[in-house]
Amino acid sequence: MAPARRSTGALARLVLSLTLLAPLASATTSAQSSPHAAPGAEPLTVLSWGGSYERAQRRALFAPFTEATGVPVEVERYDGGLAALRRAVQQEQAPWDVIDMTRSEAMAACAEGLLEPLSPDIVAPAPDGTSADRDFIKGAFGPCSITHSVFATVIAYRTDAFPGRRPTEIADLFDQRRFPGPRALQRTPSVNLEWALLSYGVPREELYRLLSTRRGLSLALSRLAGLEDLRWWETGSTPPELLIDGEVVMASGYNGRFFDAMVNRDAPIAILWDGQVQEHEVWAIPRHARHAETARRFIRFATSTERQAALTRYIPYGPSRHSATERITTHADSGIDMRLHIPTHPLNAEGAITKDEAWYAKTHDRIGDYFRAALFPEPTEPTEAEPTEAEPSDE
Amino acid sequence: MDLRSPSTYTFYMTMPDTGKVEGRGARGVLRFLGLVALGGVTGGLAALAAVGFVSAVLWLNDLLLVSPRGRMMFAHPEWLAVATVLVPTLGGLVVGQLHRAIPEGRPHTPADAIAAVQTRRGRLPPRAGALSALSGLVSLGAGASVGQYGPLVHMGASLGSAGARLLRLGRSEDNITIACGVAAAIATAFNAPLAGIVFAHEVVLRHYALRAFAPVAAAALVGHVIAGEVLERGALFHVVDLAIPRPWEFAVFLAIGGLGALVAGGYMHAILGVGRLAQRLPLATPLRPALAGALLGVTALWVPDILGMGQETLRFATIAGAFGGTELVVVMVLKLAATALCLGMGFGGGVFSPALVIGTLFGALCGTLVALVGGAQDTFVFYAICGMVAVTAPVIGAPLTSLLIVFELTGSYALTTAALASVTLASPIAAQLFGRSLFDIQLTARGLDLSSGRSRAVLEAARLGDLLSQEGVTLRPETSVDAAIKALGQAGHGEAYLVDGQGHYRGSLTLASLEVMREAGQGTTPIADCPTTPRPVLGPETSVWMAMRHLQEVTGEAIAVVDEHHVFHGVVFEASIARAFLRYSDELRREEHGTG
Repeated sequence: MAPARRSTGALARLVLSLTLLAPLASATTSAQSSPHAAPGAEPLTVLSWGGSYERAQRRALFAPFTEATGVPVEVERYDGGLAALRRAVQQEQAPWDVIDMTRSEAMAACAEGLLEPLSPDIVAPAPDGTSADRDFIKGAFGPCSITHSVFATVIAYRTDAFPGRRPTEIADLFDQRRFPGPRALQRTPSVNLEWALLSYGVPREELYRLLSTRRGLSLALSRLAGLEDLRWWETGSTPPELLIDGEVVMASGYNGRFFDAMVNRDAPIAILWDGQVQEHEVWAIPRHARHAETARRFIRFATSTERQAALTRYIPYGPSRHSATERITTHADSGIDMRLHIPTHPLNAEGAITKDEAWYAKTHDRIGDYFRAALFPEPTEPTEAEPTEAEPSDE
Repeated sequence: MDLRSPSTYTFYMTMPDTGKVEGRGARGVLRFLGLVALGGVTGGLAALAAVGFVSAVLWLNDLLLVSPRGRMMFAHPEWLAVATVLVPTLGGLVVGQLHRAIPEGRPHTPADAIAAVQTRRGRLPPRAGALSALSGLVSLGAGASVGQYGPLVHMGASLGSAGARLLRLGRSEDNITIACGVAAAIATAFNAPLAGIVFAHEVVLRHYALRAFAPVAAAALVGHVIAGEVLERGALFHVVDLAIPRPWEFAVFLAIGGLGALVAGGYMHAILGVGRLAQRLPLATPLRPALAGALLGVTALWVPDILGMGQETLRFATIAGAFGGTELVVVMVLKLAATALCLGMGFGGGVFSPALVIGTLFGALCGTLVALVGGAQDTFVFYAICGMVAVTAPVIGAPLTSLLIVFELTGSYALTTAALASVTLASPIAAQLFGRSLFDIQLTARGLDLSSGRSRAVLEAARLGDLLSQEGVTLRPETSVDAAIKALGQAGHGEAYLVDGQGHYRGSLTLASLEVMREAGQGTTPIADCPTTPRPVLGPETSVWMAMRHLQEVTGEAIAVVDEHHVFHGVVFEASIARAFLRYSDELRREEHGTG
């Protein structure tokens, strides 16, 4: 086994250097038809989020995996939720081997027994020998899942809106005296409540404890109610548009969307990293997966330091390993410095909040009721964006 | 001998009866380093125990629906209400049963550790210590309105004392390891090593000796390192972007100190008062905490802020506008009453955390009032912190520690200066009106007065027992004067003690008065008919301190020791009282002024 693993590592390094030198133009090529695929090898089926996210994964993870192992990778489109997974497990036949899902959904699925238990032992140590245990960010290992990357909900602002000053802390979102102009926020309690309470100067570590009190909730809600010219958005593509059109000067949104607007559309916006709310994207293996063993090999491969660092060359998602975060360089296509765009990079991570998914799992409905009662007093229909607040599905 | 410095030698010569003098030089250094290492180990153990305790309390609070987070994540309001009343009540029942296994019938507190060190008794009982820690854990876990630092401090002290006993070290070392455990507990719980060191000196040791400082510092340091590695949580006070108070505001901070002393006094007397009332309740002692728990739970249905340590309430009190003015008064009074109820009725736990909450609410109230008359809103947190220091410093008798906690947790010099203004008046006023601390008031009630310093405490705690001698001449009342003179002459004493057939003491006679009788031709008279010399007697439980006071009024060889049934136990020679006094003073001097 040992020699085989060593050769796998060598191959992976070769693939990495190839990736670095000449970005593979294989984004449109299906990894399945890769020339390296061993004839007859059963393909590994990955359930992922599509769009530019999937394209990045193909270039940084799937194609190199096929190169290294000969196992072709098929990708199916995932839109969040557990309904399909529940059905599959009931029929004792999961059509996928690996699922890329949010940690909160993985926690729920694991509790329902829909996922295979996943040992932290399957991941590789860092290249310098640091144990995975120390190298991964806190909370990366769940009973059925391993965090591979981190995305963030952040505030972005128009760089031309406040001549001579820039917002530096999340409290500035609520300071319409120093930073005048309309705002746009997602029409959900999560993230907004956290920011509103943070603006009073409470420590991040106590956020959810304080939001659990009537007093904390009412402080947060009154802060939100005090915002003037507030637009509520429901789809992730809206906030960059509102900013680009100049309809608002500050908006919350997913960091990947703002990155896209800045890099591909040259939008005059910048990200306020303070108060960014981080959520984990994890790998999980469904119960009754046909190729569970290959799936574990894939997870080991895809969570290696090199692969995680390679992914950051295509999309601004934070690696879950410190050793990979240290290796972040530039965007493969545009050459811009990706360190400025990765949520977990030390340049940006200082004021980060990790979303307390367990808290939301238990309080979701009640908090939603308080939120609507305080901010939308007239009877309104429940909003669409509720089932999953996960970002990755884009374009 | 040649290793000793001249000064030590002189000391040795003048005090021949003090036995060994601890050597300096290489052996002394080694001994000292050993003590420092022991301090570090003690600190590590105490810190780990503290971390375990704190984590267990948090876990219990989430599990038992005491913490706001646990309550919010629980979806059934009617069961939540049931749990709010039931959990503290059942917790009280458990605590009551636990206390039955402690000899004193009550949990041990930092006051017991202070008493052990101040009287140089040391040797904290491990069983009572463990039961007290468990009682604190159950009390806090079940949401009683008590503090966590008291149990942590006592737990650290017990661990330190156990270490000294395990290694068969002396009383002096025992005192130092107790202080080490205390320092580590505070350093870990607050993640404030300097505050831990100062607390151990200011509250427990109450003297400053280099010999104690180094081990205590090592313990606090280890505690700090462990806290940094293991405990991840927000600082107790989190302060961002401070405004600087205007000069006139310092006058207000001083005033807050003065008023805070009164709040602290009210708080301490409420606890003691409920304790006295509880004695008169027609309810068995082990059931009292359950009653307190039930009352607390019912009140918490309306004001959940009073449950548990109240860390969320503390946080909100530092935020301007989080409470209305009346609300501040209501929550403050209810928190004070709830804490007095829980502690007075016998829950285990400390007094510090509730004092933090009450003090911060009080400061917030002052800040709100000042804002009403046009004072500043942007310095609100200064008022909250000043109130907090003004109430906590007098309660635990530790102004410097309170200041250092503020300084280490905020890193803000401006805030520490404001707190200094407040504590300047708070501590002395409270000490004048009420006593140095709640611990001292409790100890005085138990018969240990620490107000005159440690030397008196040591002498008050030292009993006559081992000074008792049977060498005094005892005579039956029917003995004749001639026989009595003969007996005294043979024994070489000038005094005899009359003890009857039942062993009862009947008075004392001097050789001089017997001689007078014989000269008067009454040599055959029984000595029962002789005039006895009026002399005070001492009880077997009399302290060395009291014996010294009697010596001032007595001339003679010895004082008879007689118990409450007039049974004669023996005598204590005046010389041995004086020798004991010198020995205790000398031990104290060496402990407090030794460098190693």
